[in-house]
Amino acid sequence: MNFFEKSKRLEALVFLLLTLYPLTLNFFFGYFSMLFAFALSAFEWDILTPMKFVGLKNYQEMLSEIVHGVEMLVSSPRMLHLRAPFFNGLKNILLYTAMVVPTQTLLALVLAAVANQRVRGAHFFRVAYFLPATTCPVIISLIFIWLFMRDGFVNYLISPLTGGFKPDWLRDPNFLLPAIALVAIWGTSAHFFVTFLAGLQALPREVYEAAKIDGAGVLARFIYITIPLLKPLVTYVVVLGTIGALQMFDLAWVMAGAGGGAGGAGYTVALDIYNTAFVQLRYGYAAAKAVLLFAIIFTLNYYVQKKLAFGRVT
Amino acid sequence: MLLGERGLRVAYLAAAYTLMVLLALIYLMPFLRSIVASFMTWAQASAYPPEWWPNPFTLENYMKLFRLSLFPRWILNTALVSGLVVALNLVTCSMAGYAFAVLRFPGRDLLFSALLTLLMVPPFVTIIPNFILITKLGLIDNLIGLVFLGSASVSGVYLMRQYYLSLGRELFEAARIDGADPLRSYLYVALPLSKPALGALAIYQFLGSWNAFLGPLVFLRSVENFTLPVGLNFAFSRSLWVEYTPIIAGSLVASAPTIIVYVLLNKYMIRGTVVAARKG
Repeated sequence: MNFFEKSKRLEALVFLLLTLYPLTLNFFFGYFSMLFAFALSAFEWDILTPMKFVGLKNYQEMLSEIVHGVEMLVSSPRMLHLRAPFFNGLKNILLYTAMVVPTQTLLALVLAAVANQRVRGAHFFRVAYFLPATTCPVIISLIFIWLFMRDGFVNYLISPLTGGFKPDWLRDPNFLLPAIALVAIWGTSAHFFVTFLAGLQALPREVYEAAKIDGAGVLARFIYITIPLLKPLVTYVVVLGTIGALQMFDLAWVMAGAGGGAGGAGYTVALDIYNTAFVQLRYGYAAAKAVLLFAIIFTLNYYVQKKLAFGRVT
Repeated sequence: MLLGERGLRVAYLAAAYTLMVLLALIYLMPFLRSIVASFMTWAQASAYPPEWWPNPFTLENYMKLFRLSLFPRWILNTALVSGLVVALNLVTCSMAGYAFAVLRFPGRDLLFSALLTLLMVPPFVTIIPNFILITKLGLIDNLIGLVFLGSASVSGVYLMRQYYLSLGRELFEAARIDGADPLRSYLYVALPLSKPALGALAIYQFLGSWNAFLGPLVFLRSVENFTLPVGLNFAFSRSLWVEYTPIIAGSLVASAPTIIVYVLLNKYMIRGTVVAARKG
Protein backbone atom coordinates (compact mmCIF):
# COMPACT_ATOMS: atom_id res chain seq x y z
CA MET A 1 0.00 0.00 0.00
CA ASN A 2 1.49 3.31 -1.02
CA PHE A 3 1.48 6.42 1.07
CA PHE A 4 -1.31 8.07 -0.89
CA GLU A 5 -3.76 5.23 -0.46
CA LYS A 6 -2.94 4.98 3.21
CA SER A 7 -3.69 8.62 3.84
CA LYS A 8 -6.95 8.30 1.93
CA ARG A 9 -7.98 5.44 4.15
CA LEU A 10 -7.09 7.38 7.26
CA GLU A 11 -9.18 10.26 6.00
CA ALA A 12 -12.20 8.01 5.49
CA LEU A 13 -11.72 6.55 8.94
CA VAL A 14 -11.59 9.98 10.56
CA PHE A 15 -14.66 11.00 8.57
CA LEU A 16 -16.58 8.07 10.02
CA LEU A 17 -15.33 8.81 13.50
CA LEU A 18 -16.41 12.45 13.34
CA THR A 19 -19.81 11.95 11.70
CA LEU A 20 -20.90 8.65 13.21
CA TYR A 21 -22.73 10.10 16.20
CA PRO A 22 -24.61 12.93 14.43
CA LEU A 23 -25.56 10.67 11.52
CA THR A 24 -26.75 7.78 13.67
CA LEU A 25 -28.73 9.99 16.02
CA ASN A 26 -30.43 12.03 13.31
CA PHE A 27 -31.08 9.14 10.94
CA PHE A 28 -32.55 7.06 13.76
CA PHE A 29 -34.82 9.75 15.20
CA GLY A 30 -35.41 11.24 11.74
CA TYR A 31 -35.67 8.67 8.95
CA PHE A 32 -36.41 5.62 11.05
CA SER A 33 -39.06 7.59 12.93
CA MET A 34 -40.55 8.81 9.68
CA LEU A 35 -40.84 5.29 8.30
CA PHE A 36 -42.22 4.23 11.66
CA ALA A 37 -44.87 6.95 11.37
CA PHE A 38 -45.78 5.85 7.84
CA ALA A 39 -46.10 2.25 9.01
CA LEU A 40 -47.96 3.25 12.14
CA SER A 41 -50.60 5.03 10.06
CA ALA A 42 -51.75 1.61 8.79
CA PHE A 43 -52.28 0.27 12.32
CA GLU A 44 -54.52 0.76 15.29
CA TRP A 45 -52.42 0.97 18.41
CA ASP A 46 -52.62 2.36 21.93
CA ILE A 47 -49.18 1.04 23.03
CA LEU A 48 -50.78 -1.13 25.76
CA THR A 49 -52.55 -3.70 23.59
CA PRO A 50 -50.98 -5.41 20.55
CA MET A 51 -50.91 -3.52 17.24
CA LYS A 52 -53.75 -4.22 14.84
CA PHE A 53 -53.25 -3.86 11.09
CA VAL A 54 -56.12 -1.88 9.57
CA GLY A 55 -54.77 -0.93 6.14
CA LEU A 56 -56.04 2.39 4.89
CA LYS A 57 -58.83 2.65 7.47
CA ASN A 58 -57.19 5.58 9.27
CA TYR A 59 -56.90 7.55 6.05
CA GLN A 60 -60.47 6.67 5.18
CA GLU A 61 -61.64 7.95 8.55
CA MET A 62 -59.66 11.16 8.08
CA LEU A 63 -61.08 11.71 4.62
CA SER A 64 -64.63 11.05 5.70
CA GLU A 65 -64.18 13.48 8.58
CA ILE A 66 -63.10 16.16 6.14
CA VAL A 67 -66.01 15.43 3.79
CA HIS A 68 -68.41 15.40 6.73
CA GLY A 69 -66.93 18.64 7.98
CA VAL A 70 -67.53 20.40 4.67
CA GLU A 71 -71.12 19.15 4.61
CA MET A 72 -71.71 20.34 8.16
CA LEU A 73 -70.12 23.70 7.45
CA VAL A 74 -72.63 24.20 4.66
CA SER A 75 -75.73 22.76 6.35
CA SER A 76 -75.44 23.16 10.14
CA PRO A 77 -72.15 24.51 11.47
CA ARG A 78 -73.30 24.31 15.11
CA MET A 79 -70.94 22.31 17.35
CA LEU A 80 -68.77 21.57 14.34
CA HIS A 81 -65.68 21.56 16.54
CA LEU A 82 -66.97 18.63 18.56
CA ARG A 83 -68.29 16.57 15.67
CA ALA A 84 -65.39 17.03 13.26
CA PRO A 85 -62.36 18.22 15.23
CA PHE A 86 -59.79 17.43 12.54
CA PHE A 87 -61.74 19.34 9.93
CA ASN A 88 -62.19 22.21 12.37
CA GLY A 89 -58.43 22.29 12.93
CA LEU A 90 -57.80 22.25 9.19
CA LYS A 91 -60.30 25.04 8.59
CA ASN A 92 -58.86 27.19 11.38
CA ILE A 93 -55.27 26.71 10.32
CA LEU A 94 -56.02 27.72 6.73
CA LEU A 95 -57.86 30.80 7.97
CA TYR A 96 -54.98 31.55 10.32
CA THR A 97 -52.38 31.13 7.56
CA ALA A 98 -54.35 33.48 5.33
CA MET A 99 -54.37 36.09 8.10
CA VAL A 100 -50.77 35.67 9.24
CA VAL A 101 -48.61 35.15 6.17
CA PRO A 102 -49.43 38.25 4.07
CA THR A 103 -49.41 40.55 7.10
CA GLN A 104 -46.16 39.26 8.55
CA THR A 105 -44.39 39.41 5.16
CA LEU A 106 -45.50 42.99 4.58
CA LEU A 107 -44.58 44.06 8.11
CA ALA A 108 -41.20 42.36 7.93
CA LEU A 109 -40.51 44.20 4.69
CA VAL A 110 -41.51 47.54 6.24
CA LEU A 111 -39.36 46.88 9.31
CA ALA A 112 -36.37 46.00 7.13
CA ALA A 113 -36.81 49.07 4.93
CA VAL A 114 -37.08 51.30 7.99
CA ALA A 115 -34.16 49.74 9.87
CA ASN A 116 -31.98 49.80 6.77
CA GLN A 117 -31.90 53.62 6.78
CA ARG A 118 -28.41 54.83 7.43
CA VAL A 119 -29.13 57.05 10.42
CA ARG A 120 -27.56 57.21 13.86
CA GLY A 121 -28.95 54.66 16.31
CA ALA A 122 -30.21 52.30 13.61
CA HIS A 123 -28.51 49.40 15.38
CA PHE A 124 -30.62 49.93 18.50
CA PHE A 125 -33.79 49.71 16.44
CA ARG A 126 -32.62 46.57 14.66
CA VAL A 127 -32.05 44.91 18.04
CA ALA A 128 -35.47 46.07 19.26
CA TYR A 129 -37.31 44.76 16.20
CA PHE A 130 -35.74 41.33 16.43
CA LEU A 131 -36.26 40.90 20.18
CA PRO A 132 -39.72 39.25 19.87
CA ALA A 133 -38.23 36.53 17.67
CA THR A 134 -35.69 35.49 20.31
CA THR A 135 -38.24 35.14 23.08
CA CYS A 136 -40.07 31.89 23.70
CA PRO A 137 -43.50 31.86 21.98
CA VAL A 138 -45.06 30.24 25.05
CA ILE A 139 -43.81 33.02 27.31
CA ILE A 140 -44.96 35.64 24.81
CA SER A 141 -48.40 34.04 24.71
CA LEU A 142 -48.61 34.15 28.50
CA ILE A 143 -47.85 37.87 28.48
CA PHE A 144 -50.33 38.48 25.67
CA ILE A 145 -53.10 36.63 27.52
CA TRP A 146 -52.91 39.41 30.06
CA LEU A 147 -52.75 42.11 27.39
CA PHE A 148 -55.76 40.59 25.61
CA MET A 149 -57.98 40.43 28.71
CA ARG A 150 -61.26 42.29 28.44
CA ASP A 151 -59.92 45.15 30.54
CA GLY A 152 -56.47 44.70 29.11
CA PHE A 153 -54.01 46.95 27.38
CA VAL A 154 -54.89 45.94 23.81
CA ASN A 155 -58.52 46.98 24.27
CA TYR A 156 -57.30 50.25 25.77
CA LEU A 157 -55.09 50.89 22.74
CA ILE A 158 -57.86 50.23 20.25
CA SER A 159 -60.58 51.98 22.27
CA PRO A 160 -60.38 55.21 20.22
CA LEU A 161 -61.18 53.14 17.12
CA THR A 162 -63.91 50.89 18.51
CA GLY A 163 -66.07 53.46 20.21
CA GLY A 164 -66.44 51.76 23.56
CA PHE A 165 -66.79 48.22 22.23
CA LYS A 166 -64.42 45.93 24.09
CA PRO A 167 -64.02 42.50 22.48
CA ASP A 168 -63.37 39.65 24.87
CA TRP A 169 -60.52 38.39 22.69
CA LEU A 170 -59.82 35.07 24.36
CA ARG A 171 -63.38 33.99 25.22
CA ASP A 172 -65.21 35.12 22.10
CA PRO A 173 -64.98 32.52 19.29
CA ASN A 174 -64.94 35.31 16.71
CA PHE A 175 -61.89 36.97 18.23
CA LEU A 176 -59.80 34.06 19.53
CA LEU A 177 -58.14 33.12 16.24
CA PRO A 178 -57.40 36.75 15.26
CA ALA A 179 -55.85 37.26 18.72
CA ILE A 180 -53.57 34.26 18.21
CA ALA A 181 -52.77 35.53 14.72
CA LEU A 182 -51.80 38.94 16.10
CA VAL A 183 -49.36 37.40 18.57
CA ALA A 184 -47.91 35.25 15.82
CA ILE A 185 -47.51 38.20 13.47
CA TRP A 186 -45.80 40.21 16.19
CA GLY A 187 -43.23 37.44 16.64
CA THR A 188 -42.70 36.16 13.11
CA SER A 189 -42.55 39.55 11.40
CA ALA A 190 -39.61 40.20 13.73
CA HIS A 191 -38.12 36.88 12.67
CA PHE A 192 -38.38 37.52 8.92
CA PHE A 193 -37.34 41.14 9.32
CA VAL A 194 -33.75 39.92 9.61
CA THR A 195 -34.08 37.91 6.40
CA PHE A 196 -35.20 40.99 4.51
CA LEU A 197 -32.60 43.19 6.17
CA ALA A 198 -29.83 40.85 5.03
CA GLY A 199 -31.37 40.84 1.57
CA LEU A 200 -31.55 44.62 1.43
CA GLN A 201 -27.95 44.98 2.52
CA ALA A 202 -26.80 42.59 -0.16
CA LEU A 203 -28.39 44.58 -3.00
CA PRO A 204 -25.90 46.10 -5.46
CA ARG A 205 -25.39 49.77 -4.64
CA GLU A 206 -24.41 50.73 -8.21
CA VAL A 207 -27.94 50.17 -9.47
CA TYR A 208 -29.25 52.70 -6.97
CA GLU A 209 -26.56 55.22 -7.83
CA ALA A 210 -27.42 54.88 -11.52
CA ALA A 211 -31.14 55.32 -10.86
CA LYS A 212 -30.43 58.35 -8.68
CA ILE A 213 -28.46 59.94 -11.50
CA ASP A 214 -31.35 59.24 -13.84
CA GLY A 215 -33.57 61.16 -11.47
CA ALA A 216 -35.56 58.38 -9.78
CA GLY A 217 -36.97 59.41 -6.40
CA VAL A 218 -36.88 57.38 -3.17
CA LEU A 219 -40.28 55.82 -3.72
CA ALA A 220 -39.62 55.09 -7.40
CA ARG A 221 -36.36 53.38 -6.48
CA PHE A 222 -38.11 51.26 -3.86
CA ILE A 223 -40.89 50.20 -6.22
CA TYR A 224 -38.86 49.70 -9.39
CA ILE A 225 -35.57 48.42 -8.01
CA THR A 226 -35.88 47.09 -4.46
CA ILE A 227 -39.13 45.15 -4.84
CA PRO A 228 -38.17 43.33 -8.09
CA LEU A 229 -34.72 42.50 -6.73
CA LEU A 230 -36.20 41.19 -3.49
CA LYS A 231 -38.87 39.10 -5.22
CA PRO A 232 -37.15 35.72 -4.74
CA LEU A 233 -36.63 36.55 -1.08
CA VAL A 234 -40.29 37.52 -0.71
CA THR A 235 -41.31 34.15 -2.16
CA TYR A 236 -38.94 32.46 0.26
CA VAL A 237 -40.44 34.29 3.24
CA VAL A 238 -44.00 33.58 2.10
CA VAL A 239 -43.37 29.86 1.67
CA LEU A 240 -41.40 29.56 4.90
CA GLY A 241 -44.05 31.57 6.71
CA THR A 242 -46.73 29.25 5.37
CA ILE A 243 -44.76 26.22 6.54
CA GLY A 244 -44.53 27.69 10.02
CA ALA A 245 -48.16 28.83 10.14
CA LEU A 246 -49.57 25.46 9.05
CA GLN A 247 -47.81 23.77 11.97
CA MET A 248 -48.79 26.32 14.59
CA PHE A 249 -49.01 24.67 17.99
CA ASP A 250 -47.53 26.56 20.96
CA LEU A 251 -49.58 29.72 20.66
CA ALA A 252 -52.87 27.85 20.35
CA TRP A 253 -51.88 25.47 23.16
CA VAL A 254 -51.33 28.37 25.55
CA MET A 255 -53.88 30.93 24.43
CA ALA A 256 -56.76 28.62 23.53
CA GLY A 257 -55.87 25.48 25.49
CA ALA A 258 -55.49 21.91 24.26
CA GLY A 259 -59.20 21.74 23.41
CA GLY A 260 -59.11 24.80 21.17
CA GLY A 261 -60.82 27.26 23.49
CA ALA A 262 -64.17 28.97 22.98
CA GLY A 263 -66.17 27.14 20.32
CA GLY A 264 -63.00 25.36 19.23
CA ALA A 265 -61.98 28.54 17.44
CA GLY A 266 -58.32 28.10 18.42
CA TYR A 267 -58.10 24.44 17.44
CA THR A 268 -55.36 23.54 14.94
CA VAL A 269 -54.22 20.46 13.03
CA ALA A 270 -51.15 20.20 15.25
CA LEU A 271 -53.29 20.31 18.40
CA ASP A 272 -55.50 17.61 16.90
CA ILE A 273 -52.51 15.37 16.16
CA TYR A 274 -51.31 15.84 19.73
CA ASN A 275 -54.71 15.07 21.21
CA THR A 276 -55.33 12.06 18.98
CA ALA A 277 -51.97 10.60 19.97
CA PHE A 278 -51.36 11.56 23.56
CA VAL A 279 -54.86 12.06 24.94
CA GLN A 280 -56.99 9.57 23.01
CA LEU A 281 -54.00 7.21 22.63
CA ARG A 282 -54.89 6.52 19.00
CA TYR A 283 -51.32 6.54 17.73
CA GLY A 284 -52.17 5.05 14.34
CA TYR A 285 -54.83 7.61 13.52
CA ALA A 286 -52.60 10.43 14.76
CA ALA A 287 -49.80 9.16 12.52
CA ALA A 288 -52.14 9.21 9.50
CA LYS A 289 -52.99 12.85 10.21
CA ALA A 290 -49.28 13.61 10.64
CA VAL A 291 -48.54 11.99 7.28
CA LEU A 292 -51.03 14.35 5.61
CA LEU A 293 -49.35 17.31 7.29
CA PHE A 294 -45.98 15.92 6.24
CA ALA A 295 -47.04 15.70 2.59
CA ILE A 296 -48.06 19.37 2.56
CA ILE A 297 -45.06 20.69 4.49
CA PHE A 298 -42.52 18.56 2.66
CA THR A 299 -43.79 19.70 -0.74
CA LEU A 300 -43.53 23.34 0.29
CA ASN A 301 -40.07 22.78 1.73
CA TYR A 302 -38.93 20.93 -1.34
CA TYR A 303 -40.05 23.87 -3.42
CA VAL A 304 -37.96 26.23 -1.28
CA GLN A 305 -34.84 24.11 -1.43
CA LYS A 306 -34.89 22.97 -5.03
CA LYS A 307 -36.68 25.73 -6.93
CA LEU A 308 -35.56 28.75 -4.96
CA ALA A 309 -32.20 27.18 -4.09
CA PHE A 310 -32.04 28.84 -0.72
CA GLY A 311 -29.96 27.38 2.04
CA ARG A 312 -31.75 27.32 5.35
CA VAL A 313 -30.21 28.62 8.52
CA THR A 314 -31.63 27.33 11.78
CA MET B 1 -37.71 74.07 -3.93
CA LEU B 2 -39.17 75.60 -0.82
CA LEU B 3 -37.27 73.51 1.71
CA GLY B 4 -33.83 73.27 0.17
CA GLU B 5 -31.30 70.48 0.64
CA ARG B 6 -30.96 70.99 4.38
CA GLY B 7 -34.66 71.22 5.04
CA LEU B 8 -35.27 68.02 3.11
CA ARG B 9 -32.66 66.22 5.17
CA VAL B 10 -34.25 67.37 8.42
CA ALA B 11 -37.72 66.36 7.22
CA TYR B 12 -36.39 62.95 6.17
CA LEU B 13 -34.69 62.39 9.52
CA ALA B 14 -37.79 63.42 11.44
CA ALA B 15 -39.96 61.05 9.43
CA ALA B 16 -37.47 58.19 9.72
CA TYR B 17 -37.08 58.55 13.48
CA THR B 18 -40.81 58.91 14.12
CA LEU B 19 -41.48 55.70 12.21
CA MET B 20 -38.59 53.87 13.87
CA VAL B 21 -39.63 54.89 17.38
CA LEU B 22 -43.26 54.02 16.70
CA LEU B 23 -42.35 50.54 15.47
CA ALA B 24 -39.95 50.03 18.37
CA LEU B 25 -42.75 50.91 20.78
CA ILE B 26 -45.02 48.31 19.16
CA TYR B 27 -42.37 45.60 19.28
CA LEU B 28 -41.19 46.40 22.80
CA MET B 29 -44.58 47.23 24.32
CA PRO B 30 -45.34 43.78 25.78
CA PHE B 31 -41.92 43.66 27.44
CA LEU B 32 -42.13 47.21 28.81
CA ARG B 33 -45.70 46.77 30.06
CA SER B 34 -44.94 43.50 31.78
CA ILE B 35 -41.77 44.79 33.45
CA VAL B 36 -43.80 47.59 35.02
CA ALA B 37 -46.72 45.31 35.89
CA SER B 38 -44.51 42.73 37.56
CA PHE B 39 -44.01 45.25 40.39
CA MET B 40 -47.71 46.03 40.70
CA THR B 41 -50.46 44.42 42.72
CA TRP B 42 -52.92 42.48 40.57
CA ALA B 43 -55.61 45.05 41.37
CA GLN B 44 -53.42 47.71 39.81
CA ALA B 45 -52.18 45.61 36.87
CA SER B 46 -55.75 44.75 35.88
CA ALA B 47 -57.15 48.26 36.21
CA TYR B 48 -58.90 49.90 33.30
CA PRO B 49 -57.83 52.34 31.97
CA PRO B 50 -54.31 50.97 32.59
CA GLU B 51 -52.02 52.42 35.23
CA TRP B 52 -48.54 53.33 34.17
CA TRP B 53 -46.48 53.17 37.34
CA PRO B 54 -46.44 50.68 40.26
CA ASN B 55 -48.10 52.22 43.28
CA PRO B 56 -47.47 50.71 45.77
CA PHE B 57 -44.22 49.23 44.47
CA THR B 58 -44.23 45.55 45.42
CA LEU B 59 -41.91 42.56 45.08
CA GLU B 60 -44.69 40.25 46.17
CA ASN B 61 -45.11 38.72 42.67
CA TYR B 62 -41.50 37.59 42.52
CA MET B 63 -41.72 36.30 46.11
CA LYS B 64 -44.84 34.31 45.28
CA LEU B 65 -43.00 32.88 42.32
CA PHE B 66 -40.05 31.66 44.34
CA ARG B 67 -42.20 30.52 47.24
CA LEU B 68 -43.51 27.89 44.87
CA SER B 69 -40.62 25.46 45.21
CA LEU B 70 -41.22 24.17 41.69
CA PHE B 71 -40.20 27.41 40.05
CA PRO B 72 -36.47 27.36 40.97
CA ARG B 73 -36.52 23.71 40.01
CA TRP B 74 -37.81 24.59 36.54
CA ILE B 75 -35.08 27.22 36.14
CA LEU B 76 -32.42 24.64 37.05
CA ASN B 77 -33.91 22.07 34.67
CA THR B 78 -33.98 24.51 31.79
CA ALA B 79 -30.44 25.68 32.51
CA LEU B 80 -29.20 22.09 32.73
CA VAL B 81 -30.82 21.05 29.46
CA SER B 82 -29.72 24.09 27.49
CA GLY B 83 -26.22 24.07 28.97
CA LEU B 84 -25.70 20.44 28.01
CA VAL B 85 -27.29 20.88 24.58
CA VAL B 86 -25.00 23.82 23.82
CA ALA B 87 -21.89 22.00 25.06
CA LEU B 88 -22.64 18.81 23.14
CA ASN B 89 -23.52 20.63 19.94
CA LEU B 90 -20.28 22.60 20.02
CA VAL B 91 -18.47 19.26 19.90
CA THR B 92 -20.67 17.22 17.57
CA CYS B 93 -21.48 19.97 15.05
CA SER B 94 -17.93 21.23 14.68
CA MET B 95 -16.66 17.66 14.22
CA ALA B 96 -19.28 16.70 11.67
CA GLY B 97 -19.20 20.09 9.97
CA TYR B 98 -15.45 19.78 9.52
CA ALA B 99 -15.76 16.23 8.19
CA PHE B 100 -18.46 17.19 5.68
CA ALA B 101 -16.56 20.27 4.50
CA VAL B 102 -12.98 19.01 4.33
CA LEU B 103 -12.59 15.23 4.41
CA ARG B 104 -13.06 13.03 1.34
CA PHE B 105 -15.34 10.06 1.72
CA PRO B 106 -17.30 8.08 -0.86
CA GLY B 107 -20.92 9.28 -0.82
CA ARG B 108 -20.13 12.19 1.48
CA ASP B 109 -22.35 14.72 -0.27
CA LEU B 110 -25.19 12.25 -0.53
CA LEU B 111 -25.00 11.65 3.22
CA PHE B 112 -24.96 15.37 3.81
CA SER B 113 -28.02 16.09 1.69
CA ALA B 114 -29.80 13.20 3.37
CA LEU B 115 -29.04 14.90 6.68
CA LEU B 116 -30.22 18.29 5.41
CA THR B 117 -33.44 16.81 4.04
CA LEU B 118 -34.41 16.09 7.64
CA LEU B 119 -34.87 19.83 8.15
CA MET B 120 -37.89 19.59 5.85
CA VAL B 121 -39.65 16.99 7.96
CA PRO B 122 -42.23 18.59 10.25
CA PRO B 123 -41.69 17.72 13.93
CA PHE B 124 -45.25 16.43 14.21
CA VAL B 125 -44.44 13.45 12.01
CA THR B 126 -41.52 12.25 14.09
CA ILE B 127 -42.79 13.23 17.53
CA ILE B 128 -45.18 10.28 17.85
CA PRO B 129 -42.67 7.56 16.88
CA ASN B 130 -39.98 9.33 18.90
CA PHE B 131 -42.23 9.31 21.94
CA ILE B 132 -42.60 5.55 21.54
CA LEU B 133 -38.88 5.04 20.92
CA ILE B 134 -37.88 7.20 23.87
CA THR B 135 -40.35 5.32 26.06
CA LYS B 136 -38.86 2.00 24.96
CA LEU B 137 -35.36 3.34 25.65
CA GLY B 138 -36.48 4.20 29.18
CA LEU B 139 -35.67 7.88 28.70
CA ILE B 140 -39.17 9.24 29.09
CA ASP B 141 -39.62 11.91 31.78
CA ASN B 142 -35.86 12.25 31.87
CA LEU B 143 -34.01 15.50 31.20
CA ILE B 144 -31.06 13.54 29.86
CA GLY B 145 -33.33 11.98 27.25
CA LEU B 146 -34.27 15.48 26.11
CA VAL B 147 -30.59 16.46 25.91
CA PHE B 148 -29.83 13.27 23.99
CA LEU B 149 -32.42 14.08 21.32
CA GLY B 150 -30.98 17.54 20.81
CA SER B 151 -27.31 16.68 21.10
CA ALA B 152 -26.36 16.87 17.39
CA SER B 153 -28.55 19.36 15.57
CA VAL B 154 -28.74 19.20 11.78
CA SER B 155 -28.84 22.97 11.35
CA GLY B 156 -25.77 23.22 13.58
CA VAL B 157 -23.83 20.76 11.41
CA TYR B 158 -24.93 22.78 8.40
CA LEU B 159 -23.79 26.06 9.94
CA MET B 160 -20.35 24.66 10.82
CA ARG B 161 -19.89 23.03 7.42
CA GLN B 162 -20.67 26.29 5.62
CA TYR B 163 -18.19 28.07 7.85
CA TYR B 164 -15.39 25.61 7.12
CA LEU B 165 -16.17 25.79 3.39
CA SER B 166 -15.90 29.57 3.58
CA LEU B 167 -12.39 29.24 5.00
CA GLY B 168 -11.33 27.74 1.68
CA ARG B 169 -9.84 24.41 0.68
CA GLU B 170 -6.29 25.82 0.36
CA LEU B 171 -5.97 26.19 4.10
CA PHE B 172 -6.58 22.51 4.77
CA GLU B 173 -4.50 21.47 1.75
CA ALA B 174 -1.61 23.41 3.22
CA ALA B 175 -2.05 21.70 6.57
CA ARG B 176 -2.04 18.33 4.82
CA ILE B 177 1.14 19.13 2.93
CA ASP B 178 2.74 20.21 6.20
CA GLY B 179 2.08 16.69 7.42
CA ALA B 180 -0.99 17.18 9.62
CA ASP B 181 -3.29 14.16 9.56
CA PRO B 182 -7.06 14.84 9.30
CA LEU B 183 -7.62 14.68 13.06
CA ARG B 184 -4.77 17.03 13.82
CA SER B 185 -5.87 19.42 11.14
CA TYR B 186 -9.28 19.53 12.83
CA LEU B 187 -7.83 20.13 16.29
CA TYR B 188 -5.04 22.55 15.42
CA VAL B 189 -6.23 24.28 12.22
CA ALA B 190 -10.01 24.18 12.05
CA LEU B 191 -10.98 24.55 15.72
CA PRO B 192 -8.80 27.57 16.58
CA LEU B 193 -10.29 29.40 13.59
CA SER B 194 -13.91 28.52 14.44
CA LYS B 195 -14.58 30.96 17.26
CA PRO B 196 -17.08 33.16 15.37
CA ALA B 197 -19.01 30.16 14.03
CA LEU B 198 -18.94 28.35 17.37
CA GLY B 199 -20.19 31.52 19.03
CA ALA B 200 -23.12 31.79 16.63
CA LEU B 201 -23.82 28.06 17.05
CA ALA B 202 -23.80 28.36 20.84
CA ILE B 203 -26.23 31.31 20.76
CA TYR B 204 -28.65 29.61 18.36
CA GLN B 205 -28.58 26.35 20.30
CA PHE B 206 -29.05 28.17 23.59
CA LEU B 207 -32.05 30.13 22.33
CA GLY B 208 -33.50 27.03 20.70
CA SER B 209 -33.23 24.76 23.70
CA TRP B 210 -34.16 27.38 26.29
CA ASN B 211 -37.33 28.22 24.36
CA ALA B 212 -38.22 24.66 23.29
CA PHE B 213 -41.79 23.62 24.02
CA LEU B 214 -43.06 20.64 22.02
CA GLY B 215 -40.19 18.32 23.00
CA PRO B 216 -40.33 19.01 26.75
CA LEU B 217 -44.13 18.88 26.65
CA VAL B 218 -44.18 15.41 25.12
CA PHE B 219 -41.09 13.82 26.69
CA LEU B 220 -41.41 15.14 30.25
CA ARG B 221 -44.21 13.86 32.43
CA SER B 222 -43.76 14.87 36.08
CA VAL B 223 -44.08 18.45 37.27
CA GLU B 224 -40.68 18.59 38.95
CA ASN B 225 -38.96 17.69 35.67
CA PHE B 226 -40.60 20.46 33.63
CA THR B 227 -38.66 23.18 31.88
CA LEU B 228 -39.71 26.83 32.22
CA PRO B 229 -42.06 27.15 29.21
CA VAL B 230 -43.90 23.92 30.06
CA GLY B 231 -43.87 24.69 33.77
CA LEU B 232 -45.16 28.24 33.49
CA ASN B 233 -47.90 27.14 31.15
CA PHE B 234 -48.78 24.43 33.66
CA ALA B 235 -48.87 27.00 36.46
CA PHE B 236 -51.17 29.15 34.35
CA SER B 237 -53.56 26.43 33.21
CA ARG B 238 -53.82 24.93 36.72
CA SER B 239 -54.18 28.40 38.26
CA LEU B 240 -51.43 27.84 40.82
CA TRP B 241 -51.84 31.50 41.71
CA VAL B 242 -55.12 33.33 42.02
CA GLU B 243 -53.72 36.44 40.39
CA TYR B 244 -52.05 36.78 37.02
CA THR B 245 -49.16 39.00 38.13
CA PRO B 246 -46.89 36.12 39.29
CA ILE B 247 -47.25 34.63 35.80
CA ILE B 248 -46.11 37.95 34.33
CA ALA B 249 -43.14 38.06 36.71
CA GLY B 250 -42.38 34.42 35.87
CA SER B 251 -42.50 35.14 32.16
CA LEU B 252 -39.97 37.90 32.63
CA VAL B 253 -37.65 35.71 34.70
CA ALA B 254 -37.97 32.95 32.11
CA SER B 255 -37.21 35.19 29.16
CA ALA B 256 -34.49 37.27 30.85
CA PRO B 257 -31.60 34.91 29.93
CA THR B 258 -32.53 34.83 26.24
CA ILE B 259 -33.03 38.59 26.14
CA ILE B 260 -29.69 39.23 27.86
CA VAL B 261 -27.85 36.79 25.61
CA TYR B 262 -29.44 38.32 22.55
CA VAL B 263 -28.85 41.95 23.48
CA LEU B 264 -25.21 41.33 24.43
CA LEU B 265 -24.28 38.89 21.69
CA ASN B 266 -26.46 39.75 18.68
CA LYS B 267 -23.39 40.89 16.71
CA TYR B 268 -22.10 37.32 16.64
CA MET B 269 -25.48 35.94 15.64
CA ILE B 270 -25.82 38.15 12.62
CA ARG B 271 -22.27 37.42 11.55
CA GLY B 272 -23.03 33.72 11.88
CA THR B 273 -26.08 34.03 9.67
CA VAL B 274 -24.15 35.81 6.98
CA VAL B 275 -21.41 33.20 7.07
CA ALA B 276 -23.92 30.39 6.72
CA ALA B 277 -25.83 32.10 3.95
CA ARG B 278 -22.84 32.57 1.69
CA LYS B 279 -22.85 29.19 0.01
CA GLY B 280 -25.87 26.98 -0.49
